[in-house]
Amino acid sequence: MKYIDTLLLFLLLTSLFLFNVPPSHAAPGALQKAEIIRLGEQMYRQGILPSGKPMPAFIRGDVEVDSSAFSCSSCHLRAGLGSYEGGVVTPPTTGSKLYKPYRRPPSMGDTMDQSGRHIYAKTVQERPAYNRTTLASAMRFGVDPVGQTFNDVMPRYPLSDSDMSILIDYLEALSSQPSPGASSTEFRFATIITDDVTPQDRQALLMPLQNFIDRKNQQLAMYSDFIKFGYIPTAEMKYAFRKASLDIWMLKGPPATWQKQLTAYSTKKPVFAVLGGISNQNWKPVHDFCESERLPCLFPITNFPVVSETGWYTYYFNKGYAQEGEATARYLNRQESLRDEKAILQIVQDSEAGKALAAGFQSVWKEIDRLPVTTVTLTAAQLTDQGGMNKILSTHSYTALLLWTDARLLPNLKTMISRLSDQGIVVMSSEYLGKNMAAISENVRDRVLLTWPYRLTPYVGPKTGQFDAKVPTLTSAKDYGDRRITSRSVTMLLQATLQGLNRIYDNLYRDHLLDVMSMQMDLTVRDYERLSFGPGQRYVSKGCYIIQLGPGADPALIPRSEWVVQ
Amino acid sequence: MINPFKTIASLLLLVLMTVMLPSSPVHAESKKYKRTVEHYTLPNVTLINQDGKKVSLQSLVKGDTPIVVTFIYGTCTTICPVLSAGFVNLQSKLAATGQSPRLFSITIDPENDTPKVMKEYLKRFRAKPGWDFATGSRADIDAVMKAFNAYIPDKMSHYPLNLIRNPKDGSWVRLFGIMSSREFLEEYQGVVGK
Ligand code: HEC
Repeated sequence: MKYIDTLLLFLLLTSLFLFNVPPSHAAPGALQKAEIIRLGEQMYRQGILPSGKPMPAFIRGDVEVDSSAFSCSSCHLRAGLGSYEGGVVTPPTTGSKLYKPYRRPPSMGDTMDQSGRHIYAKTVQERPAYNRTTLASAMRFGVDPVGQTFNDVMPRYPLSDSDMSILIDYLEALSSQPSPGASSTEFRFATIITDDVTPQDRQALLMPLQNFIDRKNQQLAMYSDFIKFGYIPTAEMKYAFRKASLDIWMLKGPPATWQKQLTAYSTKKPVFAVLGGISNQNWKPVHDFCESERLPCLFPITNFPVVSETGWYTYYFNKGYAQEGEATARYLNRQESLRDEKAILQIVQDSEAGKALAAGFQSVWKEIDRLPVTTVTLTAAQLTDQGGMNKILSTHSYTALLLWTDARLLPNLKTMISRLSDQGIVVMSSEYLGKNMAAISENVRDRVLLTWPYRLTPYVGPKTGQFDAKVPTLTSAKDYGDRRITSRSVTMLLQATLQGLNRIYDNLYRDHLLDVMSMQMDLTVRDYERLSFGPGQRYVSKGCYIIQLGPGADPALIPRSEWVVQ
Repeated sequence: MINPFKTIASLLLLVLMTVMLPSSPVHAESKKYKRTVEHYTLPNVTLINQDGKKVSLQSLVKGDTPIVVTFIYGTCTTICPVLSAGFVNLQSKLAATGQSPRLFSITIDPENDTPKVMKEYLKRFRAKPGWDFATGSRADIDAVMKAFNAYIPDKMSHYPLNLIRNPKDGSWVRLFGIMSSREFLEEYQGVVGK
């Protein structure tokens, strides 16, 4: 007994010493607010201490890990409003929620399931408000203000006083101000259109958007009538009905001036999120603007998204042309006849599309450790110069020819193929060929493979959101070059976005909208086989078929690969 | 690299937490996870590991050392970090006794988890050799989940599960729920027979 007491005393003293280690940097008081937030954000999102060292943590009681593998935001998410995944409830961790009493909402996982599996997910159900001191204990020892111990999922963080103070300052600031463009009564949205887009395409985008806004406002009117007649709404309903408006941010002139135009629009009337948009040019300037403004941009129609692993604010349907190039690389990598890189020739049209396709191919080719393939970039004029092309093709007996070009060289395809080795194949992009795909002459179709980033299996479900298709919608030759502007915009609005908007309730933070959207289940939609989400995932359709055309003027689309090529 | 003061400090803190909070999970006597012994027939599928290499599941699990299997995915919140932290810890605990366990994580998000994503994931967790992470076609992954009676239609509804194969009779110890690393080590040693 005596021994234990001494040990306890010793430990207590050590702990006092521990948490009073002189801070290695200036005391938080001396730091500028902005610097504190930056350091706190680094702890919260990356698990890195102000000293630059990884943050130590204990998980599951006794597993020591450092937080560079996962951080607070891995579980509590970026906006700090928590998550619910696979039966584990991770509660909010923002100052405004922590400094109020909290009662955990009931969730499905709270009961024992049929096989008697215990609920490990939820420990603390109700607690009083925290203050800075009890909050520090929560993170160090895993106890709430009245001593209830958290479950083993929440790590314990042995932080020094000064580091703890920075982290708590950050939690207090996290999601403390509602984002611009939203209020308890209204959501303001914009959509972005560049001046190269044809009036038809513009209309194809605006029609579903306008419908969406009208419908939201109509629902609000109906809902207000119900309330007038004494109907008492559920909490969920209260937040689902809000006035909505849509501005059109038209971008004119060279892309270098877009940033300025966007700033002018958003300063004049800030919006909560950008709903879709469309451009035939590179989306990068808009992407960059949204990153710097921390403005969600939800599923613009573009073949030139920014392909990045760290982009946060823009959700894309897929990686556009790059995705077709990537699928090609994975597909060719599986072919035993193509072990020798010298057998592959890549011809790239000197255009934005050609370059994006080639970049996608090369990124994956490099990732899977293959040697570079011979690549020739040609202008549109050079592409149709038969003599020059023959010369290029005679340098080697190629087995695979990647033609990242538009339809202009289709008439020469037969001659080109005759110069390949016996089993030689050609790969082209269906998106780049567009409607001209069917012009691939019938007698070479068995040698031509096409990338097809869209659905092939019959789709049963709402086609445009206006009606339910009773008969399956089949993908066919008429879908060549269909840009699917309306159908994709409807998907974006009614399937992916509305789910997010309805579930943020009164937590009107843009980051929270993105967090909530990232935690949704997979979606089956008309244009893609599957959309899938996940924290940080921003290209929701991951597939691209490799197909061949059947015979005839209205050829069948024959898959030669799975949806996701691995 | 390792700051000895920090390590000692963290250790002390841990002991302190244990002593001061007798109700803390470290002391909890009742098991929080569910343990059963099962027999599974695995499908004949070929998966792809973090190095892009093909792995036959059936031949991989065979062998005269145990193998531990989990289902995770690269961008998963909450559960996967906890499962993977368990793997890291088992590796380092066993390394102290000269053992190197065979660990196998299978993704339930095959569309996103390419070899590159999986390799980076292992690097982030400082996985040592012996821990592989594999993807495959969705059909194959579904078949594997079904074979282990762990099928979920959507990755968002996934739950924590560790499966340890006993090389002596090919049976599997199925551990549902979150274990402390001591419990995990004991379960593993139980299968090894030590
Ligand atoms: C592996 C997932 C995970 C990580 C990483 C994590 N948490 Fe938690 N956290 C949880 C879970 C789950 C709970 C709920 C525990 C319970 O109710 O028993 C929780 C609870 C909390 C609470 C108590 C909330 C309340 O209302 O009582 C706070 C505060 C908190 N976490 C802050 C943090 C901070 C700050 C970090 C990073 C330094 C962090 N957490 C890292 C999962 C995590």
